[in-house]
Order: sequence, then C-alpha cells, then structure tokens
Amino acid sequence: APMPFVSVWCCSDKLCPCGERLQGQLGACLKTRSNLSSRLRPCGMKLTFPDQVWHVELLPLRRQLYILCAGNGIYCVSLDQLGSQAEDACPSSVFPVDADACIVPDVTLCTFTLLNDVLVTLSQAQGQWWMKLHVLLDPDQESQPCRQISQVGFSTCDQTGDDGDALSSHFLPVLCCASAPGTAGPGEGLWCSGGFTLEEPLFSLLFGIDAAMLDSPMILCGFPDGQLCCVPLKALNSSEAVDACSEVAGQVPPVKILHHLEEPVVFIGALRTEHKAPDDPDDQQLFGDSGCDCVVVVGHYGKMVAMKAERGEEAKVPEVREYYLQGPILCAACGGGSRMYYSTHSDISAVDLDWVSNASDPESIDNTAYVLPPVLSPASLSICSVVALSLSSRASEGDSELLALSAKGRLMSCDLCSPDDAHPIRLTPEKAGQRIKELLSGIGNVSERVSFLKKAVDQKNRALTSLNQVMNVSAALLSNQDGRKPVTCTVTASWSRLLLRDTWAISCMLENSSECSLEQGWTLCVQLFTSSCAFDEDSVDSATTFTFPIDQLLPGSKREVTLPLGSAEGTKLELPLTVSCALFYSLREILDSASDSYESLDDLLPDGSPGLSPDKEGICLPLSKCTIDILQCLRLDDSTVPGAPPSIATLSDPVETFLKVSRVQSDPSSVEVSDQLLPKAPDALGDEYLPPSVASIKVSSELLKNALKSFCEATYWAKERVCVNALGPCLPLRAVRLGLGTWSVPTDPPGQGLAPPVWKPGAGIPFLLPLLEPIQACCSGVASLLGQSVGSPPLCLGKSRQPVSCWAVGNARTHPLLCISLSKWLCEVGWGGTIGVS
Amino acid sequence: MAQRLHPGGRARSGERSRPRGSKRARREAPAGAGCLRAWTEENDGLAGGWRASRSSGPGRAAQQAARRCRLAFDSLLRKIQGLPAALPSLSLELTVLYNSLLFAVSESDGLVEGEAERINHGLIRVLEACGVSGQDLSTEELWQKVLQDVTTEELCAPLHRLGALQGAVWLAANCLGSVTGLFRLLSDTKGPLPSAHGGENELLALLKAWSVPVEGDTSPLVVQSTKDLKEILWTSAAFLQGLQGLEAGNLPTALSLLQAAASGFCSKRVLAQIYTCIGCCTQQMGKPQTALQHLKRALQVDFQCLSALSQAALVYRQLGETDAELEALALLYKALETPAQEAVSIDPCFLIRTELLVHTPALASLFSRSHPSEVKYLLAQRCLQAGRVGEAVEHYLDLLALLQEGPQHQVPLHGRSALPRIPEVFLEAASALEQLGRYQDAIAVCEEIISRTDDLIPETLRIELDSGAGGEAPGRAGSPSPGIPPQQRESLRCIVWRAAAYLHQGRAWARLGESKEAITRFTRCLNVLLRVQLVSAASIQSSEEMAEALPEAKVLQKIRLLALLGRGSQFQELGRDKEALMNFQHSLQVCPGDPAATSHLLRALWKLNRRQEAAALWQKLHADAAPADGQQEAPGRPYPLYLVSCLKQVNLPHDESLARSLQDYLRTSGQDP
Repeated sequence: APMPFVSVWCCSDKLCPCGERLQGQLGACLKTRSNLSSRLRPCGMKLTFPDQVWHVELLPLRRQLYILCAGNGIYCVSLDQLGSQAEDACPSSVFPVDADACIVPDVTLCTFTLLNDVLVTLSQAQGQWWMKLHVLLDPDQESQPCRQISQVGFSTCDQTGDDGDALSSHFLPVLCCASAPGTAGPGEGLWCSGGFTLEEPLFSLLFGIDAAMLDSPMILCGFPDGQLCCVPLKALNSSEAVDACSEVAGQVPPVKILHHLEEPVVFIGALRTEHKAPDDPDDQQLFGDSGCDCVVVVGHYGKMVAMKAERGEEAKVPEVREYYLQGPILCAACGGGSRMYYSTHSDISAVDLDWVSNASDPESIDNTAYVLPPVLSPASLSICSVVALSLSSRASEGDSELLALSAKGRLMSCDLCSPDDAHPIRLTPEKAGQRIKELLSGIGNVSERVSFLKKAVDQKNRALTSLNQVMNVSAALLSNQDGRKPVTCTVTASWSRLLLRDTWAISCMLENSSECSLEQGWTLCVQLFTSSCAFDEDSVDSATTFTFPIDQLLPGSKREVTLPLGSAEGTKLELPLTVSCALFYSLREILDSASDSYESLDDLLPDGSPGLSPDKEGICLPLSKCTIDILQCLRLDDSTVPGAPPSIATLSDPVETFLKVSRVQSDPSSVEVSDQLLPKAPDALGDEYLPPSVASIKVSSELLKNALKSFCEATYWAKERVCVNALGPCLPLRAVRLGLGTWSVPTDPPGQGLAPPVWKPGAGIPFLLPLLEPIQACCSGVASLLGQSVGSPPLCLGKSRQPVSCWAVGNARTHPLLCISLSKWLCEVGWGGTIGVS
Repeated sequence: MAQRLHPGGRARSGERSRPRGSKRARREAPAGAGCLRAWTEENDGLAGGWRASRSSGPGRAAQQAARRCRLAFDSLLRKIQGLPAALPSLSLELTVLYNSLLFAVSESDGLVEGEAERINHGLIRVLEACGVSGQDLSTEELWQKVLQDVTTEELCAPLHRLGALQGAVWLAANCLGSVTGLFRLLSDTKGPLPSAHGGENELLALLKAWSVPVEGDTSPLVVQSTKDLKEILWTSAAFLQGLQGLEAGNLPTALSLLQAAASGFCSKRVLAQIYTCIGCCTQQMGKPQTALQHLKRALQVDFQCLSALSQAALVYRQLGETDAELEALALLYKALETPAQEAVSIDPCFLIRTELLVHTPALASLFSRSHPSEVKYLLAQRCLQAGRVGEAVEHYLDLLALLQEGPQHQVPLHGRSALPRIPEVFLEAASALEQLGRYQDAIAVCEEIISRTDDLIPETLRIELDSGAGGEAPGRAGSPSPGIPPQQRESLRCIVWRAAAYLHQGRAWARLGESKEAITRFTRCLNVLLRVQLVSAASIQSSEEMAEALPEAKVLQKIRLLALLGRGSQFQELGRDKEALMNFQHSLQVCPGDPAATSHLLRALWKLNRRQEAAALWQKLHADAAPADGQQEAPGRPYPLYLVSCLKQVNLPHDESLARSLQDYLRTSGQDP
C-alpha cells in the first residue's frame, strides 16, 4: 500500500502569493488521504507519516500545521521550518515526519479541532468517547508542547448491536466550534477552522443560558452513531462519565444531546438564512458580525437537520427540521450565505435554506409559521466524486469560491456567483433568436473541437500505451543483465533441406517468457558478422542484418526465423560467423503517429537514456550473440549420395554423432541404438571393417581460460565438495581428458571394452571431461546429479535459469573436473577450437 | 516502525553491552544457545541501561526513555516468541515479558487492557513448552495450572515475578478476589491459610507471607525488583481495601486498613492521600478533631494534597468555625491559582507505583482537583452567609471575572459541582453588592441577567402540575418533578431569575431614592411573573404540596410577595398610600398570613386611618404568632441565597409606638380583653 502522506503546498508566502486565503483552505484540502497534484504548484515536499492521515488543521497565528495520524497522535509541523526545508530540498523529496513532532501521542485519537491556542481532541477509549482540552504552550518557555486541562466523557449508550459497531467504526466523529457573537474582541478574532458564530437567540436557545453567560464557545460534536452533542468549552469537565439524560439537583449537565441523527454525522455547519437590509453598508458590516442563524447537521445517508430559532411566541425552543437528501453524502460545506453544498459520489449539489413565505403581505405571515423551508430542492453542480469541499468567500466581490478535492486528488475551484446576479435578463424575441443562433454555432464549434481533441487524445493514449509496453519490456530485459533474460533468442545452425537442396541455415528461436507481450512495432534484428575471427586482424568486417518484424508475440509463445546461409554446393562460407540478435523498437513510428515534430522525441527521452540508439530513433535491446563455427557445419553423412534426406534431420550435432558412433563401436550391445541413430554410417562403411575413429580436439588455452572463467566463478563454491567419487557413476561413460595438448580416444574393435584414454600432454591443467549421458544441455539434469551426490542445495549455476550449455566443476588442485554438455558447447562458448574427424 | 521512529533508542539504553551481544548473536545465529545468550545479553543491556539512566530523575526525558525501553523490550519479546516455546529459553522469555509489561503498565497509567492478554499468552507458552494444552482457560485457571504443573526449578523465580505483576494488574482492575486466589497459589498452596489468626486481612497476610524469589547473579536482569513490587502490592492492597471499606460505610475496618496502608511503602503523594482518607473516615465516625489532625498530617507530608485542605474546610464548617473554614478555603484557592504540578507519570525508580494500582470512584471523586472558580464561589457564599458582606463582594467580583476568563480556567458545571447555575451566581453577587451599598453595580449585574434571558422567556408559560405526580414515590424529594418537560422547567427557571433580577434592581433603585425607577422595576418583575400559569390538578391543593411538586413555584411566590411589598413601600414613599395599600393587600393574598405582609398592611391601614381594620389585623397577627413562635420558616427547601437578604430586610422593625397606639386604640374601643 502506498505510504500516506501530506503534500504541503504554499508553505511560505514566497512560494504562494495567494497567502492566507489559500492557507485557510489548506486544512480542508488535505483532509483526504490521496495524492495531491493540481495546477497549484506544490512546494515539492512531501511529509510521510507512519499511518493514514485523518485530519489536518492549520493554525495561521502560529504558522503551524497540525496533523492527526491514525494510531499515532497529533503532529505539529511549523510551516516556516517546512518552507526552509523545502527550499533546500530537491523537488518532490519525501521527508518522514520527525517523531519528536508528535505533540499529543495518543493511539485512540479520532479527531481534533483548534481554537487559537486551545486544542480539543476526541478519542475513543474504554468504550467511551473522551473529549480532552489541551492548551498549546509556548515552546520557547515551556518544556512541553501542550498541557491537558480537562476532559469529559461521552457515553454513546445507543451503540448497541454488532451491526452498529461495524457501521460506525469506519466513520470518524466530527468536531466543530460555535461561538456567540462578540465573544472575542474585534481585533483578535477567535480563529477556528470550520467554526462559526451563531447569533442570539439561537445560541442561548440551543446551548443554554449558562454557556451564554459564560461567553463560552461551544464544541459541537457529531458521532458516528448519530448523536449530536454539545459542551461548553469553558466547562469541559465532568467528574465521571456523564449520563447526559439525567439532571441532578437542578443542574444542567454540561454535555447536552442536541439531536440524534441515527446515522453517522459527516458535517456540522451554520448558515445565514435571513437577509438583512443589504443597502446599508453599516448594516452589512453588522450582518457579517452577527453570525449565522441556522445550524445544519448532515448525516452520511442523507438525513439533514436544520436548527433555527422560531419566531413563535408560545415557547422559546429552536425549531428543528429534518430533511432527506440523496445520500451517501461524503462531505459538505457552508459559507456565510444560506446555501449548503454537499457532495455525493456522483455530484455536488447545493441546497438553499433561505425561505420566503409566499404570503404577499408580510403582516399576514402567521407568527407560528415555520421559518425553515418545508422542502429542499437541491441544485446540481455536476461535479462528481468530490471527497472534500471548502467554501471561501471573497469579501470584495460578494460571491464565493468553492474548492473541491476529488477522490483522485484533483483540486477544483468553482466560482459561485452570488444569488443576486442570477436574475435572468429579459430578452426580446428577436434577441432571443439571435442568441439561440449564437449558442447553436457555439455548440457546433465546441463539438468540432471536442471531436478533434478526442481524436488527438486517443492517439496519444495509444502511443502512451505502446510506449508503456516498450518500457516494460526494456526494463525487464535491461534489469536482468546477469540472470536469465525474459526474452531470449536461441541461435542454432543446422542443415535443412530446402527446395530439394541441402541448405545450411541458422534458425533463431525467439521466446517470450516475460509477462508482457511484444506488440506490433518490435523488430527482431539478426546481424551476421563474418569476420569475428580474432586470429586475423586485418580482415574487414562484413555485416549483414536481417530484420523480421514481430506482429505480436504473446507471453509464453515462441517464434522461429530461419536464415539460409548457403547450400552444400554453393558459395563458400566464411567461418566463424558471429550471429548477434537484438530487438529493436522504432520510436519514430509511434511519435509520428502522435505528433509531427521530432522535438517531442527529444523531450520524451533525455540524453543518455540507456538502450537508445545514438540517433534516438528507437530502442535497441541486445538479446544474444554467438559464434557459429565450422563445427556446426559438419555433416557426417555422405551427402554425395543423393536421396537420403532423413539423415539430415536426425543428425543435429556432429560431436554428438561422433561420440555416439564411437560408443556404438565400443559397445556392441547397443547396435540397435546405433542403428537408430546412425542408420547410414554402418551401412555406408560396411560391416566387415570398422576403422578406429580418432577424434582430436584442439583448444587454445586462452579460449579455454576465458570460456571457463565465467562458469568456474559461478560454480566454484562446490569445488571442495564435489569429489571424483561423486561423479563416479558418470565417469565410465566417457572420460575425456581435455587440456592443452591433444587428446585421442582410440576406438577399439568391438568387444574389447573401453580403451584408456590417450593423453598426449602439452602444458596446463588436465581436465577430465565426463560426457554425460544422455548428452543434453540441460542444466537441471546436471544440477540434480551433482546435487544428489553433494547432499545439500542443488547446484545452481549462476543465478539464472537460462539453459546452460557449459559446465565446469572440479578441484583445480586435486581432482580437476570439467563437465561440459557438448551439444551446445561449441556454439555458446564460442571456442575457436576445431574438431576434426578422421 | 518503532525502531525506525527511534533509531537511537535502543543503542542509548544499552550502550555498553549491546555491541558485544549483537556481534555474538550474528555469529552464532543458527545455534539455539547462541540466540539465547544474545537475547539474554540484549535484555541485560536494556535493563542495565534503564537502571543506569534512572539517576536522571523523573521528567520528559525519563518518559521518552521508558517509551524507548518498552519498544525495545517488545521487539525482543516478539523475537523470542517468534519461535516455539522451549524450556531452556522460557526463563528468559518470562523475564523479558515481565520487563516489557512493567513499562507497559507504567506507561498506560495502570489502565491495562492488552496486558492481561499478554500474560495469558506467556502462560500458554509455558504450558506448551511443558506439553500441556492451555487453551480456553481463564487467566485464573491458567495460573492454577501453571503453578501446579510446572515444577521446573529455574522457572519458579520468573513465574513468581510474573505472578506479582499479574497481581498488580488485577489490583488496578479492582479484582481483589483474583489477587487473593493467585497469592494463595503463590505463597504456599498446601499450608494453612495465614489469615487464621486475629481476623487479619487475608490478602495482606498472604502478601506478607509470600517469599520473593531470589534473584541470582546469573538470572537475566529485571528493571524493577520483585521485592519492591511486593511492598507496593501490599500497600496498594491495604489502601484499596480501606477505600472500599470507606465506600461501603464499614468504617472501623476501613480505618484499620488505611492505617496499615499508611505504614506501608509508598510515595509522599500517596501517603498524603491515605492520611486524607483516614481523616474522612474519622470524620464520618464523628471524631472531627482526630480528622483534623490526620488532614494536617496529610498536608505536612505533601502540600500538594489539596483535597486535605478542602476536607478540612468541610470539617471546620461542621464545627462551626467560620474563620478557620474561610482561611482553609482561601489557602486552597491560593494553592489552586498556581498551576498544577504535572503528575509524574514515570518515576524511573519505580515503574509500578501505588498510584497506578489504586483506582476507585471514591478516590477519584475525593481527590479530583477542585476548580478555582468552585473554591472562589464557596468563599463568596460562605462570606455572604456569615454576613461578611465586604469580603463576599470581593470574592463575587473575583469570581465573575474568573468566569469570563478563557477556556484555560474551566468552570465546573456538572452535577456535583459546588457552583450553582451561572445566573444564580450573578444574582448572589448582585445581592451582595446591594447589601454593601454598591447599588449601581448591583443594577448593572442584574441588567446582564435581564438581557441574557430576554430571548429565552415565552409570552406565557403554562405548566400543569399533576400528571403522574401521585404515582411517584414520596422519597424522591428534590428530584425533578415528573411530568414537566425539561424545556418548560428551564423556561420557568429563566423567569425566576429574570424576576429576581428585576426585584434586586427595584430594591437598589429604592435605596438610591429613585422611587419611580424602583416602581418600574417592581412592576416589570410582577409582569414577568404573570407569564407563568401554574395549573394545578385536583390532587394538589395546598401551597406546600405545590412547592413539593415544583420548588420553583415557592420561590416564584416569594418573589411576587417581595416585589409587591417593595412596590407598596415605594408608593408610600411617594405618598400614594392607597396604591400602597392595594399592593400590600395583594401580597397578603399571595402569601396568606405572611408576617411581613401583615405588618406592612397593618401600618398602611393605620396610616390611612382605617383603625378598625388595622386593629382586627393586629389581633389576628398576635393570635397566629403566639403558637407558631418557634417556627420561623416552614421546614423545607431553604430559599435561594440571593433572596435571603431581601427576606430579612422586608420584615419591618418592630414599631413600638405603633404597637402602643394600637393597644391604646383597642383599649379605647373596648375590644381588648
């Protein structure tokens, strides 16, 4: 799971000229847990937290950010400090938050709110909710960042049944602060994010005379079980868990249940539903000060409760009205006006609680009439999947701006014009016709442009998809440098019969064992270098490149291409021949389809990208390289005898054939086998005489060293454990001594058994070359053989599972052993030695 | 995660021995013995580091060090418990569990939930190692099984240690029965119960008899010795049982237990608490002087023990020593003004302390820190009741300022607070100001109440006093009367407060000589009162019954009487005797037989030369007063403090000349017997 983090924007005014206004929004924006990126320039620094971030608030007075991290507590981060860190740091760096920044370590914390220097937290412990009041201390003077003043417990007794628990567990409670007008001096406004000021008499009616006379702000608290409680900030204490329903000796308990919504509370806010005379500027000022006259609470499943002081004379109680909106409601926001905005998964809607009675004569309005509208008609804003909303009013313009954060992390800003501007302009019919024409043409323009843009977007999407695939393949191939590559190309050389002519051909088997498919656009390039011969330095390199476009190669599938090199009678082949296979992808092709300019290619791929050809035309991924020598060209059968096509097919490896022949000769019991293998040889030579066949392998010491180095490194660990005895069972098959010098196996007449190998010593280390039977280039076979005898982990050659053709084990000092599977030995290792049959 | 958060934590706590240990651990990782040694060294390193660091004393640093230690021990324990339980490593595992739990209990302030689970898990692993299944057993059963089945010598000491910790956890959860059972198992399962002699408390005797396992040099280090833990357990058990006795009213037993606890091993703070509890106990036993002595001792031990001070104030009040009581309260207030010392949450020397283990509601309520505003109110109220008006005014003004202060000064509004409703505080302040002669100030204070209640009072408040009242048990006096919705009741209270505020304003204006203003206020007061319509059902006939059902009604009546009398007097001042007479007559209708009303009416009648009526009234007054001389006030609820002075002042001084002239008149008219 991705690490949750808070991306901090606009940390300092230097980075964001918008200043306070945006900072005020920051808290709301960052409440969600998603990645943030938008047209606002983030300051490029991310803070990571040990767990999900549940709530963020900004304290502008102190320029601090308070972040609640689930299961950890509240962290306090100074914006100035962050800003300076962000300036030093490279862009998009991620900082883990400092553990010392955790000012309230409490694993049970669920939410909090800030009022100037007071921190109110809500936590759940021992089956109860606890609201705690902390005072933030001046860090310069005090050793602690904050001190707890008092706490109060809330019993949510209604939370019965497992159903309810499960339901409410993933909802967090909502805290907010309501203050009476004039509780703070004009200069120092009581700052509380999400808080509001309620006008009299609603404040007193809702919260009681004690809170009003104490001038105490009220903390409103909406619980996941639907209770809406309030408690005066100045009386946040109770000696025991307060049973809010009881009233002891005339005392009204501080915790009061205002309402029970019976569904999780997601939002508490306040509205101004009655307009005061707007013409008088002084009055306007007053209007701003006196605060809101209606409290709204919104539940997750769409129940909304509005509370307002009644006009009625009979009883002074707040009018409480329930509305049902379409849920589930994710979030909501209120500004200073009479509208509330709320977001469901599919839309943002606005409801207006301003209600003017239809009665024409204001005198006749029944005093007992409701002051809240009986029904709400939500108006859609057509913005979907918004998870956080915030409303900011621009005092100068009178209208407000809605900031919305989508679930995918997009921050949107909607300008909401004030209700006064929305008056429709009266139109004459002519004007209307003109207007309609304009509109229609405008619609036409727009749709044209839309279709054009859509096409371009589709094209770009396609290009991006294929680029993505290319990148995947490249990454898979390039990251597996030493191991087995997910896409392999195996080159084999063989004789085949083509158009009644025997042709020597190279076949390349392209196998895709990666997880991504090779799509159109990839090309397999086979390059043949004729003069890779190290002995002849003067020779001019001549290279031929064959390209095979790959239409589609799905994961797990293979494709074989064959290159005929020459016929038996034909041209002389220059051997050895180096075959190099590579995958190529032309970027030009995609980009041409996406855009016309080549500059985009330069933008797309910075200089020095690995795998990019110098002229930046495409991506070239080398697959394999091998040398084909004369050994592979050997044809043991007598090709001069026409009409014997099957022999070609059966004989794949000349060395193999040779050894088999020699074994057949030495072992008369396996004549049948030899018959199968070599149907022609005995016949051709006749059965009366079988000349002793002698083979000699000449290997240059340099080549041997080079060839063995890589294998020996990989397998040397086993050198002490593998002893000759371990390989005992396979020794009698064929023990070939190999080294510098000449080795010969005299093949004795049938029935005489295996002759001791004849070693004509040269210099260097003698190696035993046991030829395993069956001679297969299967590393696992060898590995299991060795593994069996060693007893502990099966021999693993290198780290790859690539088919290994060569193998070396042995103790250099005592029992030098070299196992080489012969069939691919020559082609893979690329020995420059020759083998001749005489 | 914790490791990542505190990269330096473990290294610091176990600096000296760790590097060696970790190196060895790496080299010998595959071998079991190597692991065991490495773990032992890690444990010893951590414990040694903690022991070395505790000289630094309590504080935030110690708290953080403790947190680091807990995390380190937890992770070590996780490592050990990651492998199947095995006998050779069990001793170490139990020790690490013990160490880790010590920190956990200490950090969680004794309120342990997950800790019991961890002990269970440890015990189940012990049984597993011995090849016994321990699933589905309760903790008590587990302990029984473990202590009976596991006989391995080297496991004895760690098991006993863990047992002591289990006892602590149970004590903190007030499970005394479980603790007793456990220590029966631990001390000697076969021996006779030591509690046989002298009825001494069984648990205490068991604890005393329990022999602490010897901590050898070779055994892994522990962060708090079992010997200390035993002492603390003993003290806590005594204290807890004493408190329970106190709660249950079993005073002599409680006293002896508390005295035992006072002789135990505990911090000064706890000792002061114990002394305070002894003080409460002796006070309830009717020995106030002894109580005072103990409370004094509590304060001597720990001056921060402010509950002792408030208890002392209570005792002085019982003894009627107002001076001493006020002095105690003033001291208490002064002490509260200085910010509270943070409770030391981690004492490096003793991770488990008595404070962590003793939790009862009684203790919490007894030692809940009183709020400055509460104490200030008590001071003001007591001064006003004692007639020290000047001091009372000072205190009330301080209190009002205190109430306006920010949220840092919390105001207790809950049910058990000494503070009444806020408007009543204002009214009392106004009353005190008025008595001191600061009439303008009194008027201003009352104005605040009037403006606040403006929006809260309905035009008419109709309250029906009947439904279900008869069915209620009569014992529930003072409980909110049934059938009246709280909203109506609150409105009624607002009316009472508003009326009282007008009444005080009227009286203040009258004292200032502004009769017209005064009459206006009195009239407003009466108008407010007229909004209430009390509809009594047939079952309620007399006013006493009415007052029983709704105490506010009685206050309401009294305010109306006072307002009428006040307005009448002001009319007299203006020379409008007839209107005055009407007011007095009204007042007598409101409260028939009220002596103050009668005497006012008498004087008005006499002044208007309606001598015959006056004489008749006088005779009636004398006839009524003669038998009912003793009972000044009806036994019942006393009137609110803000009305007391009004009630006192409304009684006219006995007018000797009027009495003489009335007697003369009666004699001349020949009606005197």
